[in-house]
Amino acid sequence: MKTEPTESEADDSNMIEVVFFKSDSCAFCPRAEEVIRETINDFGLDTFKLVIINVSENPEAAEEYGIFALPTVMIGGVSITGIPEPEMLMKMVLGAKVMTKKKGES
Amino acid sequence: MSDYTIERVKTGIPGLDELIEGGFPKGDTILIAGKAGTGKSILATQFIYKGVTEYNEPGVFVTLEESPILIKRNMLRFGMDLEKLEKEGKISIVDLSPSKEATPATIGEYPSFDLSGLQAIIMNHIKKINATRVVLDTLSIMAYKFRSRDILREEFFRLAANITRTGCTLLITSEIPAQETGLGVFDIEAFLASGVIVLYNEKISDTSRSRSIEVLKLRGSKHSSRIHSMRITDEGIRVWPGEISPGS
Repeated sequence: MKTEPTESEADDSNMIEVVFFKSDSCAFCPRAEEVIRETINDFGLDTFKLVIINVSENPEAAEEYGIFALPTVMIGGVSITGIPEPEMLMKMVLGAKVMTKKKGES
Repeated sequence: MSDYTIERVKTGIPGLDELIEGGFPKGDTILIAGKAGTGKSILATQFIYKGVTEYNEPGVFVTLEESPILIKRNMLRFGMDLEKLEKEGKISIVDLSPSKEATPATIGEYPSFDLSGLQAIIMNHIKKINATRVVLDTLSIMAYKFRSRDILREEFFRLAANITRTGCTLLITSEIPAQETGLGVFDIEAFLASGVIVLYNEKISDTSRSRSIEVLKLRGSKHSSRIHSMRITDEGIRVWPGEISPGS
């Protein structure tokens, strides 16, 4: 999958992947990206790997994941569409953390 | 009346072109509406298949409902081998059906989005194979994927306009809910398209049903105002222009 450079190139096997889908023409995407970056910063940058996919440049990725509507953020197999509320992002992150922990234990 | 003639796109449905002055106006959006089981998807797929095999016009089929595997299997019984055309790069079947495993589960939606993702996906395929025909099957599924109907309505107009601006003729299917009399779940279907074709499969006695087709509107065309007999044959959909449906 072709993506923009991520926030961290370090060993990221334990990091939570946050995938943000945007496009050149999407008016709501810049604000959504701001909210996501702010929320990630509040949690601590070393917890996350932010992958930004610009669908205008990489429509194959949108097709692969079946993403019609933008902005969409995907964390741990679930997604939300539209400018997200930080509380909702937090819930998704906590859900992903639980999943990561369970995986690590099994 | 001027001598100007609108360029037409032949449908590939035997008998239908005779009802609509030779075909759909090129670059228009056409809605194919009907209740479940009336043959909307077959008609739309036939439009794409025959577009290649009879008129050498590549086409993109975007499925939002049925998986490509099932579409290919179902069309093979009409002798239409979509897989072969796909391998030859003449058609693209874009799988946006719910059967895709990689699609994340949507847990929230805020009324601040557009459909530029869907648009980018479709435009990419149009460009790849130089398509001049596009099918979106079915619009109705969007009502179940997203709650924000007002946004969807506005975005459908934008999407249809951007696709047809490339010169493509766009067919959109719309399922009419069982007890309703409109043309779909969004109430804007008739405005979205410059042409509307309605398919019927009405019960005419205790033991039989009759299939028929009606050209409800087609801007820029003198079209039949009757409801005509239609059948799903071994070779796909066929319309009998001279035959008026017994149910009408």
